[in-house]
Amino acid sequence: MEALNIARTKSSPEIVFDPEKNVLSIRGESYPENAAAFYTQVFAWLEKYLLEPASGAGVVNVELTYFNSSSSKVFMNFFSRLDKASREGKAITVNWRYHPENESALECGQEFQEDMENLSFQLVALE
Amino acid sequence: MLIGNLFDFYSQLKKEGIIYCFCGPFSQSVMEGVGATLRLKLDLEDMDLNISQKVFAIFVEQVQNIINYSAERIPPQGVDDCEISLGAFIVGQEDKNFYLLCGNMVKNEDVPGLKDRLGQLRGLDREQLKALYRERRKMDPAKGSKGAGLGFIDMARKAGKPLDYVFTPLDGELTFFSLKVHI
Repeated sequence: MEALNIARTKSSPEIVFDPEKNVLSIRGESYPENAAAFYTQVFAWLEKYLLEPASGAGVVNVELTYFNSSSSKVFMNFFSRLDKASREGKAITVNWRYHPENESALECGQEFQEDMENLSFQLVALE
Repeated sequence: MLIGNLFDFYSQLKKEGIIYCFCGPFSQSVMEGVGATLRLKLDLEDMDLNISQKVFAIFVEQVQNIINYSAERIPPQGVDDCEISLGAFIVGQEDKNFYLLCGNMVKNEDVPGLKDRLGQLRGLDREQLKALYRERRKMDPAKGSKGAGLGFIDMARKAGKPLDYVFTPLDGELTFFSLKVHI
């Protein structure tokens, strides 16, 4: 599977897929000018990844300290796609990593978690 | 403005507890720059992380609303240029509580829809706002929306009081829309 490597900017997170570890990491903040357009490349990558057998045990680590409302919509679509893949038999895990003093990051993770039916969506407190 | 009047203007802003006042053309890069400085200022005041995060989050929603929806705009000139939108933005403190105030022109035909959406939010409590946010997040965005249609709900959820808004009609075409969010 091809690697994915999107560098962090002021208003968009670092997005990296490590094919050896089979881990997709999203880290930083997300409030780009046009969230839907910005994440198109990630959704395109995801569709290809879901065709690979490795995605059956994929891990997605998400560590977002802040995201705006239009990014929230995009992440909902992203997790819903993973939820659908899980319903179809893939054992994908999302680790929502947050700093305990960041109440908003925890609440946001909980709200995504409550909307997932099949996806293993874990809330992971960072040290 | 007369040179002698600038200090009066500056003093007036100070007296009213205004930390930031920006009026004119907005773009994503202006927002990123002002946002970084605003955060730095909030950090220096050693503020509760959750309050400074709310101030920043509402700042982003308000400025992106100006960028996306202001009826006064300058289209991109070159391929690498972004669109510039005109509006006004203020962050201030009243009795130690932060507020964010933004304004921009909207088309008269868009006013009833905005009034409906904002009016609906004023009648909702915290749990109802949360439920509405989650319901809308799963739906496709409304026609004509450049974002996710979640900005007002998100601001209402983060605000300490219901959202205040004023529509000032100007002429047969435009109305000035002001929105105040109390943290």
